[in-house]
Amino acid sequence: MGAQSIQHTQIIEISGELPDTGRKICGEATCEFSDAGSISKNSVERSTSMRKLFIAVSLCVIFMAVEVVGGIKANSLAILTDAAHLLSDVAAFAISLFSIWAGGWEPNPRQSFGFFRIEILGALVSMQLIWLLAGILVYEAISRLIAGPQNVDGFLMFVVAAFGLVVNIIMALVLGHDHGHGHGHGHGHDHGHGHDHHGHSHGLSVSTSRDVKHTKDEHHHTHDDHTHHHDDEKHSKDEHHHTHEDHAHHHDHDHKDVTEPLLGESKAKSEKKRNINVHGAYLHVLGDSIQSVGVMIGGAIIWYKPEWKIVDLICTLIFSVIVLATTINMLRNILEVLMESTPREIDATQLQKGLLEMEDVVAVHELHIWAITVGKILLACHVKINPEADADIMLDKVIDYIKRVHNISHVTIQIER
Amino acid sequence: MTMEPIQTLNGDFGFTGNDRRFAFSRQASFQQPRTPISTDSTDLGLRKPFLSRTDSSIDIPPPGPHHHYWSGHDDKPSGSLERSNFSSFVLSVFRNIRSGHRYMKRLFFMISLNVAYSTVELLIGLFTGRVGLVSDAVHLTFGCGLLTFSLFVMGASRKKPDGDYTYGYKRLEVLSAFTNALFLLFMSFSLAVEALHAFIQDESEHKHYLNVSAVTNLFVNLIGVWFFRNYARINLAYRNAEDMNCHSVFLHVLTDSIRSAGLILASWLLSIGVENAEVLCLGLVSVAVFTLVLPLFRATGGILLQMAPPSIPTTAFSKCLRQISAREDILEVSQARFWELVPGHVVGSLSIQVKKGVDDRPILEFVHRLYHDFGVQDLTVQIDHAS
Repeated sequence: MGAQSIQHTQIIEISGELPDTGRKICGEATCEFSDAGSISKNSVERSTSMRKLFIAVSLCVIFMAVEVVGGIKANSLAILTDAAHLLSDVAAFAISLFSIWAGGWEPNPRQSFGFFRIEILGALVSMQLIWLLAGILVYEAISRLIAGPQNVDGFLMFVVAAFGLVVNIIMALVLGHDHGHGHGHGHGHDHGHGHDHHGHSHGLSVSTSRDVKHTKDEHHHTHDDHTHHHDDEKHSKDEHHHTHEDHAHHHDHDHKDVTEPLLGESKAKSEKKRNINVHGAYLHVLGDSIQSVGVMIGGAIIWYKPEWKIVDLICTLIFSVIVLATTINMLRNILEVLMESTPREIDATQLQKGLLEMEDVVAVHELHIWAITVGKILLACHVKINPEADADIMLDKVIDYIKRVHNISHVTIQIER
Repeated sequence: MTMEPIQTLNGDFGFTGNDRRFAFSRQASFQQPRTPISTDSTDLGLRKPFLSRTDSSIDIPPPGPHHHYWSGHDDKPSGSLERSNFSSFVLSVFRNIRSGHRYMKRLFFMISLNVAYSTVELLIGLFTGRVGLVSDAVHLTFGCGLLTFSLFVMGASRKKPDGDYTYGYKRLEVLSAFTNALFLLFMSFSLAVEALHAFIQDESEHKHYLNVSAVTNLFVNLIGVWFFRNYARINLAYRNAEDMNCHSVFLHVLTDSIRSAGLILASWLLSIGVENAEVLCLGLVSVAVFTLVLPLFRATGGILLQMAPPSIPTTAFSKCLRQISAREDILEVSQARFWELVPGHVVGSLSIQVKKGVDDRPILEFVHRLYHDFGVQDLTVQIDHAS
């Protein structure tokens, strides 16, 4: 009953954007994150991501079935282990798929912000899965080492790993490859990145270090010529040097580089913000490819020199560490959102300074800026103004400033005198 | 360092100190009102007839401990958890633990015990070449890693809020509880897989020498259970952030002990000739762990999902909204959103449309006071004047 009366009071109100100011007097709980513009963008982006993940899942299941049948026929444990690995991939994809789908559920009085956070939690769970798998692999390597000399078929290791690698690359392409269409920038739309991009420019929505308020270069490269230029601040711990047999990996690792969208500048950016769950699934696949490369190297060495069995363990260790390093950036982003911290795209000091510079504003306190998910930012603060000033006009000015300069449209301002 | 006083809600909702769902139901001294008492409440015609324990102040409620002013020169991230010199880091860790509350100390002791035990087991396993011991040691190390993370979070969550983390670091405790719960769910799943494995496999593979390690493991974990016995409930009513973290630690040691007990039982049953004992025991343990952990998982998940605070029923919220819109100068109330930062700390925002020319100060005070009684400390109210 109570819930219904809330719904009832809210339905009376006007919904949608008023043309005069940025002030939205929208009543429904759903309104904030689904005004006319963004709801279609959201659903387009969501269905694109879901389609991609769906393709990836089906491919994965098919390959897994092939490997299981082959493994049983050849009676090889290695192939079955790889099939189990693919099963973990399927699990991760399923989690991501569920998160994206659930993110679209309508808000209700219990979940007044909608279900956008499920994406973040789903990404967290799949990152944990990656860590768990890396740990299991290391443990397996150690136990294989301890169990003493075994008849390890280096050649079989190599072949199985190569097959796994091919599968993973195909899925990486499915997940990562994006033909620029329309305004479907997903989470980016709140920041005014309503620009098309054509061609294969890739970037990442995950952001970089915090001490950046200055301009950054863009980062885009094409598939064909692999030219890219980096910002100096981009390179965190993701330095890895690993041998590639496959050139496709080279552009893959660029995806961990980050570009930070410029505040309020509307340059034509060819930057695509990838849905965080698709990105998580992509990291999973990437991690698997790295592991496969490691196993291939180990298998090749053992095939060549069968007495160096410890190479298996060393390779596994090194490549597990590499895989974990790829997840760190994403984990940091997830952590920041879950801790309700100020998103990296927003320069809060400048925002506060700008507010204080406005006339009739005496003080600003209890300023909280946080994100419900990557790209959807909310702001709440108390603004103390001159007692003689008109509260309404001040409210309009403040909201307009925040929306125009910093591009946050979901604000709640308490004007005090 | 003193523990934070535990926030209590109005007696209306039946959360008295003797509620057995609380962690510290025996300790009445924690029932302190946390809210400030106003000194100069002028009359607004809205004076509450009874002085409740939670008197709100006249103006905007004085800022809680997380209030701060942004410093204009603060360009660099402060309080970033990743960058410190390693040795100073270790020293600060020890300093933190020594000054921490007793659960930190107990947890630290438990972790050291676990680490010592697993190192010994690992060495023995390596020397004697028994894979089972090594695998057990690795399992233990996983668990230790998680407990260390919980310990770290207990210390780190005491940090003051800063420019980047305007709400402070208390959420870390919820996160650590969530991670623990997730890991336990994974563990229950893997136990089920193990049971399946044992079902398919031949029983002669059962490693009886693991019994010794299982007994020791059980013993160590029972120490942990005793340390954290205050949190010995499945459906705990969480009153502050530390509750969740400590509850997750408790569940962790409890499930570990159940697992060891299950292994011992399976071994004994096998020795007296019960068939498929391993499958049965492992299956039982897996189901038990799952049911134990699920409430914690849902509670932490709910907070992380920005769900409305479960401690405040929806009827209370709608009652508030009705009371607000019943005032004659208020036209409509919208976008009422409430969420919990940590259990006990509710944050909310609200948008009110009033008639033109109405003085907003009394309305602000009224709304703040109204929600303050429900335990909503941080409220931001936007007042729009109808044109």
